[in-house]
Amino acid sequence: MTHAASSPAPETVPQQRPSGQPFLSVRDLLVHFPTVDGVVKATDGLSFDLARGKTLGIVGESGSGKSVSSSTILGLQRGTRAIVKGEILLDGTDLLSISDEQMRLRRGRDVAMIFQDPLSAMHPYYTVGNQIGEAYMVHHDVSKKAARARAIEMLDRVGIPQPDRRVDDYPHQFSGGMRQRAMIAMGLINDPGLLIADEPTTALDVTVQAQILDLLQDLQREFNSAIIIITHDLGVVAEMADDVLVMYAGRCVEYGPTKEILTQPQMPYTWGLLSSVPDVAGDTESRLVPIPGNPPSLLNPPSGCAFHPRCAHLDKVPGNLCRTDLPDLTPATTGGNHVKRCHLVHPEDVWAKEVLPEIAPELAEQNQEPTA
Amino acid sequence: MRRIFAGVIMLILMSLVTYVLFFSGGLHPERAACGKNCSPAQWEQTKKALGYDKPAVVQWGEFLKGTVAGRTYPEDKALAKANPSLVSTCPAPCLGYSVVNTTNVSTEVKTAFPVSFSLAILAFIMWIVGGVFFGVIAALRRGTVVDRGIVGVSLIFYAFPTFWIGLFFLKFFAIQWQIFPVPSYVNLTDSPLAWLGNLVLPSLTLALIYMAGYVRMTRAFVLESFGEDYLRTARAKGLPNRRVLVKHSLRASLTPIVTMAGLDFGALVGGAIITESVFNYDGLGALAVDSVRTLDLPTIVGLVVVLAAFIILANIVVDILYAVIDPRVRLG
Amino acid sequence: MANRKRMVAAIATTAVAAMTLAACGGGGSSSGGGKASSGGTLYYYVYKPYEHQDPQRTYLGVQISNDTRMIYRQLVAFPISTNPDVSNKPVADLATDTGTSSNGAKTWKFTLKSGQKWQDGSTITCADLKYGASRTFATDVITGGPNYILSYLDVPQDKSGLPIYTGPYKSSAAGQAAFDKAITCDGNTITYNFNKPWPDFPLAVASLHMMDPYKKSQDQGNKSNYAMFSSGPYKLQGTWSKEKGGTFVRNKYYKSTSALKKIRQANPDKIVFQVGNTAETIYDRLIADSGNDKYAVTSNIVPPAYYSRITGAVAKRSVNVKSPYVDYLVPNFNVLTNQKVRQALAESTDVKSWIDAGGGDKAYAPAKSIVNPAVNGYKANPTFADIPESGDPAAAKKLLQEAGVQTPYPITFQYPSSDTMDKQAAALKAGWDKAGFKTTLDGLGDTYYDVIQKPSDPASVIWGGWGADWPSAITVTPPLFDSRPNITKASNGQDYGNYKSDAFNKLVDQAQNASDLSAQTTALQEADAQLGTDVGYIPLEIQKFYFLYGSKVTGFTNTPASSMYPDLGSIGVSK
Repeated sequence: MTHAASSPAPETVPQQRPSGQPFLSVRDLLVHFPTVDGVVKATDGLSFDLARGKTLGIVGESGSGKSVSSSTILGLQRGTRAIVKGEILLDGTDLLSISDEQMRLRRGRDVAMIFQDPLSAMHPYYTVGNQIGEAYMVHHDVSKKAARARAIEMLDRVGIPQPDRRVDDYPHQFSGGMRQRAMIAMGLINDPGLLIADEPTTALDVTVQAQILDLLQDLQREFNSAIIIITHDLGVVAEMADDVLVMYAGRCVEYGPTKEILTQPQMPYTWGLLSSVPDVAGDTESRLVPIPGNPPSLLNPPSGCAFHPRCAHLDKVPGNLCRTDLPDLTPATTGGNHVKRCHLVHPEDVWAKEVLPEIAPELAEQNQEPTA
Repeated sequence: MRRIFAGVIMLILMSLVTYVLFFSGGLHPERAACGKNCSPAQWEQTKKALGYDKPAVVQWGEFLKGTVAGRTYPEDKALAKANPSLVSTCPAPCLGYSVVNTTNVSTEVKTAFPVSFSLAILAFIMWIVGGVFFGVIAALRRGTVVDRGIVGVSLIFYAFPTFWIGLFFLKFFAIQWQIFPVPSYVNLTDSPLAWLGNLVLPSLTLALIYMAGYVRMTRAFVLESFGEDYLRTARAKGLPNRRVLVKHSLRASLTPIVTMAGLDFGALVGGAIITESVFNYDGLGALAVDSVRTLDLPTIVGLVVVLAAFIILANIVVDILYAVIDPRVRLG
Repeated sequence: MANRKRMVAAIATTAVAAMTLAACGGGGSSSGGGKASSGGTLYYYVYKPYEHQDPQRTYLGVQISNDTRMIYRQLVAFPISTNPDVSNKPVADLATDTGTSSNGAKTWKFTLKSGQKWQDGSTITCADLKYGASRTFATDVITGGPNYILSYLDVPQDKSGLPIYTGPYKSSAAGQAAFDKAITCDGNTITYNFNKPWPDFPLAVASLHMMDPYKKSQDQGNKSNYAMFSSGPYKLQGTWSKEKGGTFVRNKYYKSTSALKKIRQANPDKIVFQVGNTAETIYDRLIADSGNDKYAVTSNIVPPAYYSRITGAVAKRSVNVKSPYVDYLVPNFNVLTNQKVRQALAESTDVKSWIDAGGGDKAYAPAKSIVNPAVNGYKANPTFADIPESGDPAAAKKLLQEAGVQTPYPITFQYPSSDTMDKQAAALKAGWDKAGFKTTLDGLGDTYYDVIQKPSDPASVIWGGWGADWPSAITVTPPLFDSRPNITKASNGQDYGNYKSDAFNKLVDQAQNASDLSAQTTALQEADAQLGTDVGYIPLEIQKFYFLYGSKVTGFTNTPASSMYPDLGSIGVSK
C-alpha cells in the first residue's frame, strides 16, 4: 500500500500501483439504456483499476448497476441500444473503441465470465463437454477431439471426478456445485487475463460455496488472473477480494481495500450492507438490520445523493445538501486508497458511536476503548 | 409400447363414439338410398339392407370384428348363396365397406391418402422453412420495418379465409396467367415433376395459412431465447453471432415448434378440407366431407379411425423427437 | 341446386311456350354456339360427384338426359328440340314405334328393333329389357333410383305393402313367377302388365332409365354402380372415377340412322367428364376461355356473384332459361289450422323480394303453381294467379282480422340455411310482418329433411322444392300431397305440411285411374285447384338456369328433353 495519490480527481480513483499501467482500468464508464419511459442510467461514471492476480469485489443490491458494468467489459451490450461512454482499458487497449469482431475475439479469451445460475447459464441441450470445448474451439484452431481432451483436462482441474466420463453428461445431470465448477472450467479454458464472476456462489448451498471460492482462489494463483467478483454477499468479499467497490444507483459510493471497507466504512449505504449481513460466528446480541426502503429507480434516481431517501443520517448534514447536491467521491478520513461519496463530515464518528454498537456491540467496545 | 397400446384403446373408443353419435343424431342414411318415392315398408327394407337396422353397439361390434376377421358385403346369406358374384369381400383388417362408393373403405383411404399426404408434406416443408426463416429474420430485426412487415404480411394471409387464398391462386396463377397448371393430383410415381407442379398452388395455400403462426411463434421463441442465460454464456464465450443463433438460440426455440408442427401435420393430413375442395384434390378431407354429406357411415368411421391413428402416431413421433432434441426428456 | 341435393334429385322434361319466352339475357333463344360440327373433344365440367351411373339407379335430371344422349338407349326417347311440342313427344329408340296400350292403359306392348347392339357387339334382346326392369325390385341392392314400377307392375304385395318379387338376385319362386307373368317376352315383343292404368307410361320410359335393358352377364349388383355398359354412341374408356369423372369414346356398335339423329347426333369424337371443380372455378375458366376450356360446357349454373362478369363477348356465350324446378312453401296444417290465416300468409308472401334477394330475374322467375309450366296440362293455380308479385299486405291484414286471431300472429319459417337462403328468408319475413305476422326464422342445416319430415315439427311454414319426374302433374301433386302414402306415425314423407284432404285424395284417385291422358290432366288440374283453395302450398318461383359455354362449342342447346341442361344430343365442338 502506498499513499502516493494525495489529491485524486473527484471522479477518479487512485491507481493501485505506482508504476505502469494497471491490467484493467475502467474510466468514467457510463451505460445508459434509452427506453420509451426515459433513459435508464444503469452505470453513471464508474472508474476503477485492477491488477493481475488481484481480485476486485463489486458489491451492491440488485439493480445497482454492478452486472451491467461487468457485461459492458465483455462487450455484451453491443448490438443493443445501450449508450456506452468512457474507457475500458485492458492491457492498454480500449475495449470500447475496438470493432465488434475484435471484441468478439477477445471475449472468452482475454475476458471470461462465469454466471450466477449455472443451470440456466448452460445450454440444456448440449453436453457439458460440448459447451466447454466450444469455448476452446472458437479461439483455437483445433479439432473437436483436441477440444474435448482440453475440456476433460479443465474438468479435472476444477475437480470434477471422472472427467472423461462426465464430459458427456448434460448440465441437468450435474449437481449445482459441479455445474459451477464446469462453468469455471469453461471460463478459464482459454487462460483469460480477466475473469468476471457474477454472483458465482449465490445459487449454491453454503458448503459448496466455500469450495467454489477456494477453487477460484487456487486457480487465480495458478493462472495469475485478475478477477472481478460481483456479489451482494460481503462474506464472499471478505474472503476473496483485495479491493471492494460499493455501487449504488449506478455509481460508486465507496471504494477501497477490503479490510478498510469492512472495518472502517464511511458511507451509510455500506453501513447498511454490513448491518444486513448475518454474522454466523458472531454473538446473538448483534442485530440484523435491513436497509429500509427499496433500491432506487435507475430511470428516475433521487436528486442529490441517491441514497438520501433511505439514509438514517440525513440530519447530521447541514441544510438540504443531501437532497440537492450529489456528493463527490472524496478520500475517506482514514486516508489511503479509501474513497467515499458522502456529505457527512465525520463519518468515522457516526460509525463508531452509532452504527457499530448496534450491529456488533463487542467490536464497538474494543474499538472505543482506545479512543475513549 | 405403452403408448401404442393406449392409442389402440383410444381408437376403439373413438369408433364406438362415432357409431353412437351418428345414430343419436336422428340421421337416416337409408333415406337417400330409398329414393324419391319411398314407402315406409321400402324404407325399412332399405335400412335392413344397409345394415342400419341393428343397434349402434351391435354395428360397432361387427365393425370391430371385421378389423380382425374381415367381412363380406352385403351380409345377406341368402343373397350370397344365390348370387356369389354380388358379394364383395373386405379382408382383415377391414375398415368397412362403403355402399355409397361401392368400395372397401380401406381402398378409399388408400386412394385418398397419397393425395392428402403429398399436399400436407409439401405444405409442411414450405411453412416450416418459410415460418422459421421469416420468424428468425423478424426476431433479429425486432422493432424495425422488416419485422413489422413480416409479421403484418403473415397476419394478412392468416386472416384471409383459406378458400379465398385458394381461389385467388387458382384464378390468377392457374387460369388467368397460366403460370401453374390448374391443379389436379398426379401420382409421384407417374411424374415427379408434374406431381410437384400441380401441388405448388394448393400446398402454398395451406402453407401460407399455417406460416403466419409459425412466423410469430419462431419470432417469439427466438426473442425469448435471446433473454436466456445460456445465450449470454454463448456470447460471452466469443462465439460468432451466426453460431449463437443457429446452435444455441434456434436449437432451443425448435422444441416447441417441433411439437406444434408435428401435431399440425398430423391434423392436416385429414383436415385440409377447404383446400382440397377448392383445388379439387380428392384427398382424405374431401372424402370426409363427401362421406358426411352422403351419410356414408362406414367411410365416416373408417376415416375417424385412420385419421385419429395418424394423429396418435404424430403424437408419438413428436414425443420421440422431443426426447431427441431435449436430453432432459426421457421417454416413459 | 344445393338446397335440394337429396330429395329432389329428379327432374321433369318438356316445356310449353313460356319456356322460350323466358329465355332472356343470352341469345334470346336457348340455343347458340353456331352450327353443330362433328369430331373433336368436348369437355364437360361437373361439381358434385354422381352417386350412381347404373341406369336403374340414376335419378338426377341432368344425368338421365346425358345418359340418353351418350350411353343408355331406351325403348322410346325424347327428341332434341327447343320446341316443346316436339321435345315433349317420345319417339322410337330401341322400339320400332312408341308402343301400344290396351286394357284401359293397363297393358303396354313394345317391339324391339332387330340388330341393336351392346358395346360388346352382342344383340340387345327382350330378355335384357325384362332383366333391367327386374333389377328395381332388388331394393336392397339397386337403391337410389326411381321405383314407380314397384307400385304399377302387376305383382302381388305382401302384408307390409312390398311386392312379393324381390329382384333377380334372390327371390322366392312365387315372386319370380308373379314377375314372369307381369312382364312377358314374345320374340322381340315385350309386354308390361300393370295393376292400374298408366296412360303416360311412354313419358315415364323416356324420362327415366328405370325401364332400360340391362345385360345380365354384366350385372354385379352394387359393384356395377359405375360400370356403364353402353348401348349408345359412346362408351366409357377405362373406368369411371367417382371423384374425377371419365372419358367417353365412340362405340362402334352403335349404328346411327336419320331417325336416331333426332335423339342423338353424337357430334364429338370424345367427351371428357371432369368432376369436382367448384362452380366458381368452372366459371373462372369458362370466362377466361383458354385451352381446353374453349371446348367446355357445364351442368353448374353461374353463381350470382359472377353475373356482373357475363357481359360483352362473354354474354354471347351464355343462356338463361327456366328450369323444370319449382320452389314453394307449405303451411303446416298441424299448426296453421285456420284457413284464413293460411290465405293471409299466401296474400302477404313477397315473392318479388324473395327473388331479388336470391339473385334477381336471372336466377328465378315467379311461379303461379307448384306445377312447372313445362309440364303437360299446366294451368296457373286460380288461388295464386291474381296475388301481386310483391304480395298484398292490406288484403292479408283484412284476412287475419276475419280469421279472428290476435295480431301480431306468431309464425316460424323453416328453411335450409345458406347465405342466400338466409337473405331470402329475411325478405319474406319483412312482407309477412307487414301484414300482421310476427315471423321467427329457423334456418336448418344438413338434417333439414329429417326435421321437417317429423309430424311433430312445430314450424308454421316450411320451404320445399320439387321437379316432375316426367312431364305430368301426376309426378308432382300426388307424391307431395296425397296423405295416404306419405303420412305415417314416424314421418310425413314428402307431405311436409301434413296436408290431409279427402277431396284432394279423391281427385288423385281419379287421375291415377284415368285411362286416357286428357281425363287424367283434368283431374290433376282440379286437384291443384283444391290445393289452392286449402292453401296446401304457396308457390314461390321457378329456378332459372344460367349457363356459359366455351367459344369453340357448337350446337349449344337447352331442351326440355335435357331438363334444360346443355343437351349433349346436339352439342359439338369446332376445330
